[in-house]
Amino acid sequence: MPQQLKMEEKPCCVALSVQPSRGLVDEKFVVLVQNTVPSCPLTIHASHQCEDGHSWHAFAHYTSDASGVINVSEDCSVGGTYSGVEAMGLLWSLKPVPGSKPGLRMRKKNVQAPMVITISVYKGHLTEGFGDQVPLAGTEVERWYMAPGVRRIAVTEDGLTATLFLPSGPGPFPGLLDLWGGGGQLVEYRAALLASHGIAAMALDYLTCKYTMETGKMVEQDYFEAAYTFLQKHPKVLSSRIAMLGLSLGTSITLKTAVYSEVMKLRCAVSISGSHVQPLDGFLKETLGYFNENSGKTCFTEDNEAIWRNLLLPIPTDPSLKVDVGKLQCPLMLIVGEDDQNWCAYESAMDIKEMMERAGNSHLLTLLSYPNAGHLIEPPYTPHARSSLFRDVKSRQMLMALWGGQTLEHSRAQEDAWRKLLVFLRKNLYGGVKSTSPLSNL
Amino acid sequence: MVTDALSNISLFDLFPLLFAERATDAVMFRAHASVKAMGQLTDMKIKPGCSVYRKLAGLQRLTGKVPWISSTRPAPLLTAAPVRALVDEQISIRGRFLPPRCPVTVWARMHSDEGDLWESFAHYNSNESGAFSLTGDPSVGGSYLGCEPMGLFWSMQPAPGGREGLRLRKKNVETPYLVHISLLGGHVSPSGGQISELAAVTAERWYMAPGVKRIAIHQNGIVGTMFVPPGPGPFPAMLDLWGMGGGLQEYRSSLLASKGYVSLSLAYFGHKDLPGPPDRINVGDLYFKAAFRLLQDHPQVVSDRIGIIGLSFGCYLTLRIATRTGVKPSCLVCINGPMGSTVPLTDSDGRTDQFDSFQQYWTFDDEGRVIFKDVSLPANLPPDSFVKLEKLDCPLMYIVGEDDLSASSTENADLIEENLRTAGKSHLFTRLSYPGAGHLIEPPYSPNARSSMWSVKPKKLITMWGGHPAPHAAAQEDAWKKILDYLEKHLRS
Repeated sequence: MPQQLKMEEKPCCVALSVQPSRGLVDEKFVVLVQNTVPSCPLTIHASHQCEDGHSWHAFAHYTSDASGVINVSEDCSVGGTYSGVEAMGLLWSLKPVPGSKPGLRMRKKNVQAPMVITISVYKGHLTEGFGDQVPLAGTEVERWYMAPGVRRIAVTEDGLTATLFLPSGPGPFPGLLDLWGGGGQLVEYRAALLASHGIAAMALDYLTCKYTMETGKMVEQDYFEAAYTFLQKHPKVLSSRIAMLGLSLGTSITLKTAVYSEVMKLRCAVSISGSHVQPLDGFLKETLGYFNENSGKTCFTEDNEAIWRNLLLPIPTDPSLKVDVGKLQCPLMLIVGEDDQNWCAYESAMDIKEMMERAGNSHLLTLLSYPNAGHLIEPPYTPHARSSLFRDVKSRQMLMALWGGQTLEHSRAQEDAWRKLLVFLRKNLYGGVKSTSPLSNL
Repeated sequence: MVTDALSNISLFDLFPLLFAERATDAVMFRAHASVKAMGQLTDMKIKPGCSVYRKLAGLQRLTGKVPWISSTRPAPLLTAAPVRALVDEQISIRGRFLPPRCPVTVWARMHSDEGDLWESFAHYNSNESGAFSLTGDPSVGGSYLGCEPMGLFWSMQPAPGGREGLRLRKKNVETPYLVHISLLGGHVSPSGGQISELAAVTAERWYMAPGVKRIAIHQNGIVGTMFVPPGPGPFPAMLDLWGMGGGLQEYRSSLLASKGYVSLSLAYFGHKDLPGPPDRINVGDLYFKAAFRLLQDHPQVVSDRIGIIGLSFGCYLTLRIATRTGVKPSCLVCINGPMGSTVPLTDSDGRTDQFDSFQQYWTFDDEGRVIFKDVSLPANLPPDSFVKLEKLDCPLMYIVGEDDLSASSTENADLIEENLRTAGKSHLFTRLSYPGAGHLIEPPYSPNARSSMWSVKPKKLITMWGGHPAPHAAAQEDAWKKILDYLEKHLRS
């Protein structure tokens, strides 16, 4: 017979386990607490110190069952930074600890080392003071953007500022150009994760690249062509299977390339949180110029957060201001958050859909639209930032940008979108020899 | 169509294998790409045209490529999840985007800490959708047969041409084993020559979870390594004892710490930091008691929740500590070992005589390999060394490998059970008995050594441990689970 333990007695050996303890960022884990006093209120707490030294935490309130067990994948949190049954809530609901500098956003710079998260169990339902109490149990979890065997290769030839991630194995692998948005920098983590799923992905810096930093000029189409050609010629990349993935401003490039490029023949394209609205004449410089002309439409919230979604609204009817998606010949996946406060991604998606239906090529379109998801639809189980400090590359101004999204729905959207993105990429890059039709069942 | 296909491809697209990045890749592929063939390729200009295609086809045969691989489709996908796992966690290995009903070979290889190459392989057939998985599909040939999700790991053998008498044991538990798993075309034997690697994945196998701390112990004469789980504690603890192989084996302790037990691997024989001549046991009851106390006194250990696990000679030590030294363990796990010393004692504290002077019970098989089994037959054990089981006060789990060639495990289990019954203590005894399992019942999914090098001086001697691959692997998996459940029950609740 199990002994009756009073709460005042020395707690004996509460066991906390997380499996797997070393996972990829998009892998689910199971958090299990065992051997607690039955029907006992407990708090499960996650803490993480990110690379720039800021502390993040998440916590949830549970009650152990009759056998003294809590299974986060099955049991209901009744409070904390998330509630309900949320297997991965301890990760996606991570927030900066109280007293932190405002406007933080967690982004991994060094993808060759894991994120280390400490998970602990505390007595009672706590909302603060975690540092003052000794937890009942604690464990450490590693979250990796890179699988073992994936190779990280800095790319500087042909004037490129890029990083190529090659999956393990002989190849040849399908290739992918990975583009982020207006913040610039060389952001590697999504490409590293895609390589961990068998795609030779190259993260490309096109706003703060060496060329631009040295000359002060924006890159032109030939920069992207050089990136594409580099992939094409790479001995481990299959030249006929190269995709492009863009988020935010990266979408503008992706859509233009997918429709018009003579050099870059994309096998498929993915556009996240972006728009097809841009002057057809010209390229990056002209697109940014167009935004600038409309900058008067910027709004601000009470907290001085900048809302840029209106810059491209209303969606123009003038065809010279939109990528003619009716001419698209490869499969396209559009991912948009309906609460995107930074770009009018949803409205653009509706217009793209209508244009393609009119042109008769809408069978190429897969549209994922998420209510209450914001702009930053990123790989899953990473914290959501509804707003954060943003430095615009052109103006060098630091502003608080409102990205949008409600944490719970945004996190669900990230999980769903990433899974479907991988299916889409695999189907188009690995499957079939002919140009494929869209996915019938995602 | 052939000419169209050829007009846009580069040399690299067609023959990635011939341009292996590293020398090690080339060795592993064994792709029969002779210097002459390489010369032909570099001289040749790739032009659309049938004659070129014939030449290329000829070279394809040379490299052993399967006929359906072309330059227009990517390689199939091989995945493993979780790709970084503890050694006792199951990994799900799958292949996708193959042609339907396609024969493939999965080939795993890794280097031990000593640099020896170990490998295994298995034959599968993809299903109608061009996929297969090790968790759902049977192997139809190779190092193991049937549906064995972890077969690639436990069926590993030293690669041909390696050193003889090897046994796989992780020395450095702070680093993982890196297992390279390849997907090859056709049902091939990888060491047999012509292979073509279609895809690969690298898996890490860890003996230590993140946050576990490793602490070398050299105090009060105690020689060992302690592993402390992450978190504040307090934790239950385990004293971990191995056999007459000696030295200091850390890997079971580090795994136990990864499950939340403070664990102390204790050296008692064959370690440079221990006193006295190296051919006998020079530490006695006080030494083991001190080690137990070290755990008890540790600020993060619950002092009345300490168990002991011992394999082989470690079994006898486990029983001796529990009945003679005054300490009170909460439970014991004994694997394939005697209830008395296999070497005569020289004092009442348990120190022993020289090992090798007592060989009368050694037997040898046709190949001159030594079988120690009879040494531990109860009738052959020094009577003054028998543990007094009537003094046992805590639960005991005894695990038997029925094909144990190194110890008379069944006979000792029988005697222990009988003695406990006579003492009215049957309720303390749990026996697990595994047909086909050998002496070395270790944490799961590691290969069994049916025999291995025992000594090299004065002459080379190989010893038989026993055990056949599949049943031994099943025993390890089941026993480990039952051990962990047993420890949970007696050390946590």
